Amino acid sequence: MRLFIHAMLLLTLSGGMLMAESGENGVFPYAYTVETLENGLTVIMIPMSGSGLMSYYSIVRTGSRDEFEAGKTGFAHFFEHMMFRGTKNYPAAMYDRMVTEMGADANAYTTDDYTAYHLSFAAEDLETVVKLESDRFQNLDYEEAAFQTEAGAVYGEYRKNISNPWQVLFEALLGKAFTRHTYGHTTIGFEDDIKAMPQLYEYSKEFFSRYYRPDNTVLLLAGNFREADAMELIRRHYGDWEAGYQMPDVLAEPAQTEERSVDVTYEGKTLPLLVVSYKGPALDVGDPVMVAGSMLEELLFGETSDIYRTLVLKEQKVQFISADFGFNRDPRLWSIYAMIKDEADIASVRTEIDRTIAQFRSRTVSDRQLADLKKRLKYSFLMGLDTPDKVAGRLARLTAITGGIDVVDRLYVAYDAVTPDDLRAAVERYLADERRTIATLKGRE
Amino acid sequence: MTRLRSIIILAGMLMSACSPPPSENVVLLPVADDPTISFRVWFKVGSQCDPAGKEGLAALTAAMMTEGATEARSYETILAELYPIAASYGASVDKEMTIISGRIHRDNLDPYYELFTDAILHPAFAEEDFERIRTDMINSIRKSLRYANDEELGKAVLYDFIYEGTPYGHLDMGTVSSLENITLDDVRSFYRAWFTGQNLIVGLGGGYHDTLVFNIQEDLAALPASEPTQPPPPEPASFEGLHMRIVEKDCNATAISFGFPIDVLRGDEDFWALALFNSWFGEHRNSSSHLYQVIREARGMNYGDYSYIEIFPNGGRRQMPPTNHARRQQLFEVWIRPVQHAHRHFALRAAIRELQQVIENGMTEEQFELTQRFLGKYALHYATTTSRRLGYAIDSKFYGMHGEYVELFRREIANLTLEEVNAAIRRHLQFSNIRIAAVTSGAEEFKRDLIADVPSPITYETPKPEEVLEEDRAIMAYPLNFTEDRITIIPVEDVFD
Repeated sequence: MRLFIHAMLLLTLSGGMLMAESGENGVFPYAYTVETLENGLTVIMIPMSGSGLMSYYSIVRTGSRDEFEAGKTGFAHFFEHMMFRGTKNYPAAMYDRMVTEMGADANAYTTDDYTAYHLSFAAEDLETVVKLESDRFQNLDYEEAAFQTEAGAVYGEYRKNISNPWQVLFEALLGKAFTRHTYGHTTIGFEDDIKAMPQLYEYSKEFFSRYYRPDNTVLLLAGNFREADAMELIRRHYGDWEAGYQMPDVLAEPAQTEERSVDVTYEGKTLPLLVVSYKGPALDVGDPVMVAGSMLEELLFGETSDIYRTLVLKEQKVQFISADFGFNRDPRLWSIYAMIKDEADIASVRTEIDRTIAQFRSRTVSDRQLADLKKRLKYSFLMGLDTPDKVAGRLARLTAITGGIDVVDRLYVAYDAVTPDDLRAAVERYLADERRTIATLKGRE
Repeated sequence: MTRLRSIIILAGMLMSACSPPPSENVVLLPVADDPTISFRVWFKVGSQCDPAGKEGLAALTAAMMTEGATEARSYETILAELYPIAASYGASVDKEMTIISGRIHRDNLDPYYELFTDAILHPAFAEEDFERIRTDMINSIRKSLRYANDEELGKAVLYDFIYEGTPYGHLDMGTVSSLENITLDDVRSFYRAWFTGQNLIVGLGGGYHDTLVFNIQEDLAALPASEPTQPPPPEPASFEGLHMRIVEKDCNATAISFGFPIDVLRGDEDFWALALFNSWFGEHRNSSSHLYQVIREARGMNYGDYSYIEIFPNGGRRQMPPTNHARRQQLFEVWIRPVQHAHRHFALRAAIRELQQVIENGMTEEQFELTQRFLGKYALHYATTTSRRLGYAIDSKFYGMHGEYVELFRREIANLTLEEVNAAIRRHLQFSNIRIAAVTSGAEEFKRDLIADVPSPITYETPKPEEVLEEDRAIMAYPLNFTEDRITIIPVEDVFD
């Protein structure tokens, strides 16, 4: 019944294509609706009772992955900065002042696959937020001088980041692991490209025109608001935004056929770092082996794994070990990270990682172990949904990759269906030696 | 189950429709529709209680309780039991407070409660946990703090500098040598002396049943009953002029922090006025910050510039103020995020000059009104979760305040006048007696420049408006009266050794 009411309401109010869904039968505990405007803008609304705050995410499905032109890396992130530079209607100072008057907690971040602009604010200010956000996404306007000043701030951010040895290691790792795909550079971009940014004012406008389009954007609203009111505002203020997203020419990465490695020296002191990365898959919740593969990060390298017990608790060779088998739009890396206490142990830690994977090929996960993992995934997700901002934040990546929200419930259904055979198949498929790139970093003596 | 426990549970069930009787030793924040339960057990012990030569003992003891075995369970077993319920517990240790905290979905309360209380009541203090945790702490100082985060390093050096000679005057984590000096027996003795039944406050929040309030109090009453004597509040030495500690390090940008002690604590009459001023002058990681506008926005010199009237650790990793760092002594602090070495002198001048200007001229009516509107709503973000609200409630108990903190904060901010704010600025802030910490390369050269007070012109790679350039001319010649004996250079290898 709820679905029907939503559908009727939306049909009455909009002329656009629509769908309406609800998460009532899945793990996601809140009902939601989804509407797509004629220009392709997808709007996901998740009403929540509570504090009077709401969260407003504008997710542009463009990240550093989409920077396919040589010499132009770092622009997705740079745009995250430029989007605060104002429009003719609301120049930067006025935008800042209005956000300040609302007492909004406003920020943005850029990832490999998307850029998210988010505000958390008192629900009574929704109309102002819709006006401001719709305006800057359609009418961003900045002078060359402001553009160049912001390039200086971005370079400052790069300098801050690169004092961290992990950033140094990631730069080297990605450069080695990818020969063609744009995942070969970090989100902030190559240093030379960042230095050259001030000369690329015209290109910046081109970048905006290609990617900041309604058919490449998802609005995600969570919190204390009425869906009909929000939709009316969104249609009024985003309805004229012209579609025209241009797909970037991202080259597919050829299959890796042999193991690679890279060793870097950090110009400072640090414990040695080791990353063992395998070429992972693109997100596909319809593929049980892919979903099972993503669970291996916990199963093989989590706090209850054999390797954690050996290397962290017993032998105490590592400061920490963990893994990230995350979700991406294209095949990227599934990585195991370790910070090792003594340089002499780098090789043995590597051997232990190899052994962990090799042993898993011939071992069957117990029902109890698998059930515990599934329960953990579910409760870890549920406990992270306690504010509108966290709800929107938790959903942002999956929404950005797929363009929708139904993937969330489908993912947890898929987790539930994973069998020990799926897990073994995932190890065979993804954790093969020839798919691997190993990166080490040592500090200066 | 004991007979007493049964009676208490029964009493709790009968009382479930109303609030439990108020107790001096509990802080309760029931939120019926929250499916999770938050625990914060506050022990009145912190790094100020570390014995001389064994700095870091409070932090090490708390970590042994929450990252090690109990008498009944190995640490592996604990991790295995926490795993399916997606839960954890941990300790945070500040100068005066240690908080053992955790959060659980109510579906999994029983197994979690058992683990959480076991960690507090029956830590095993096992040798292998001790070695692991102490080594991790030493590595955190030797490798991470010294070499992987110049901003946190600079701030840590500043805090030691400001509180030198007081029980606040050392890193909570201790130093390499003090940690090496701590034995497992020290940990056991410290636990027995400070983690006692008379030295704790239980904080509970979320969708708990009232029986939990009774049970946890009764269970934690098994701790020794003694009440340790608290050290007196720290009295930082007064000083005159600008004093600087420069950490010499091979790095590509200069991190600067500066500050001085203030005599205003949360809840004091002038606290709200200073909070409004501080929000305008340097709201943390917010572009509304005036310092941000001057240093980053207009000049693109760095990534951000902020100020504080209460301690704000790990600023790079958090957006909202931390809870449970309540103290009897606070400081005013300015954080200048890394700037090019060539701009370090200019950036320091710019920030101190802005401080002077607001002290001498006060905030304007427009600045005041805008900040008042901003803070009234922005404060809603301070405590969006039950766990954070509980954290604030515990802090309020520390400071002897009543009512929900964020509501009180918003009300007090709304009632302020510009005159009150400017009077509070003049009463508590100054720009002449400041301690400064910098992490940079070429410390000797920086020191020479500072002592000679040489002009620090700035050039930009991009054009700037004339008003910015004109102000630059005033900033580059702004006098900073350093003397040779007030600047110390420390090689990074020696910091916290």
